[in-house]
Amino acid sequence: MMNLEDLEKQVIRMEDIQEIENLQRRYGYYFDTRNFQAVVDLFSDNADSADLESFGLFRGKEGIRRLYWNDIGRGVRPRDPSESWISTAVIQIGGVVNLDPCGVTARGRWQTWLAETFLYGGVPRQYWVHGYYENEYVKERGKWFFKKLFWNVTFFTMFETGWLTQPLVGLLPMANPDGPPTAFYPYPSGYKFPYHYNHPVTGE
Amino acid sequence: MNEGPHGDHPLERELPVTIAELEKQVILMEDIQEIENLQKIYGYYFEIGNYQGVVDLFSEDAESAEIESCGLFLGKAGVKKMYVDTIGSNKYESWVRFCIQMMGGVVDVDPGGKTAKGRWQTWLCEAMPVGGIPRQQWLHGYYENEFVKEQGRWLFKKLHWNVTFYTSFEAGWVRIPLLGLLTMKMADAPPTAFHPYPSGYHVPFHYKHPITGE
Repeated sequence: MMNLEDLEKQVIRMEDIQEIENLQRRYGYYFDTRNFQAVVDLFSDNADSADLESFGLFRGKEGIRRLYWNDIGRGVRPRDPSESWISTAVIQIGGVVNLDPCGVTARGRWQTWLAETFLYGGVPRQYWVHGYYENEYVKERGKWFFKKLFWNVTFFTMFETGWLTQPLVGLLPMANPDGPPTAFYPYPSGYKFPYHYNHPVTGE
Repeated sequence: MNEGPHGDHPLERELPVTIAELEKQVILMEDIQEIENLQKIYGYYFEIGNYQGVVDLFSEDAESAEIESCGLFLGKAGVKKMYVDTIGSNKYESWVRFCIQMMGGVVDVDPGGKTAKGRWQTWLCEAMPVGGIPRQQWLHGYYENEFVKEQGRWLFKKLHWNVTFYTSFEAGWVRIPLLGLLTMKMADAPPTAFHPYPSGYHVPFHYKHPITGE
């Protein structure tokens, strides 16, 4: 039988997983509402990096602020009413979160389904987007933060055409990344985005 | 205190709760967490064509696996026959793609703590050849699965994915509910409940209504 200390450890572990699940979803909900300052505030001050789609790699908290606030959000607050037709719905699905034995770092895989609307090539368009996250988290002062965020896009297609006909509407390079994307291999490359976890039964 | 349907829940009883009771509750929550992960990991292996990885998630004493109109496969040998020997025997090019989105898990662990049942729904976007033509598809369906805990680990005991529709990206489920049958010659028996849209079929729930108990 467990003693009280073991029990407490197990309960904390489950609370941690729950909190990380919420962190990931809150990130998506802030992104949806274009509250990019709030997104930046979900990252640790000692965050490693953020790397999304074909945007490029952004390093450190300063790089993360540049990515979300300056580049994606274009420093607009409050949001420009003329842009209210621009929309993102990030659906966070299938979280597999694993805590490292130390209990203060963790990793999680997710997949996402997105319905988006924004300008591409000067034309307002509607898109279907699919991708996977492999993220790292860190617990500081009793709270979980993003340490590293990596979102790997599978396809970025138009509502009308679909992923087989048009896997990628186009590239979305940002002006000032710290490096090129680390693993940008969209459909139909056959790229298998590595898992952070081993097989739960065979251990492979 | 009234003994309702949840009357045996330690937190609804008078304090103090014993450590043994707390331990039971903690293990129950861990079990649910592990089963949720097992289901998602299954999907992630299927997507990348790691069918041996899928088979290894099933108990040696697994009952069956059944997907769509493929047919019923019995026992662990049947599970391997379906995933590795049939689905895995297709040497697909890299444009063939499955995105299986596992949503809305409802997991219930049986009172003994050794078996469990779970329901999910799935939204899929796929690209594969149908009738020799490359196509892109939307699929929707429900799982009602059974799980077993062996040597401290949760495994699939029975997997059943019931398809709602399997349509082309361009046409949609009202116009083409089903692009075609995916019958597998090696199946041990025909599908047990293949009633795609618009049959009106509802995949039965493994659970009772949490309030009324019906």
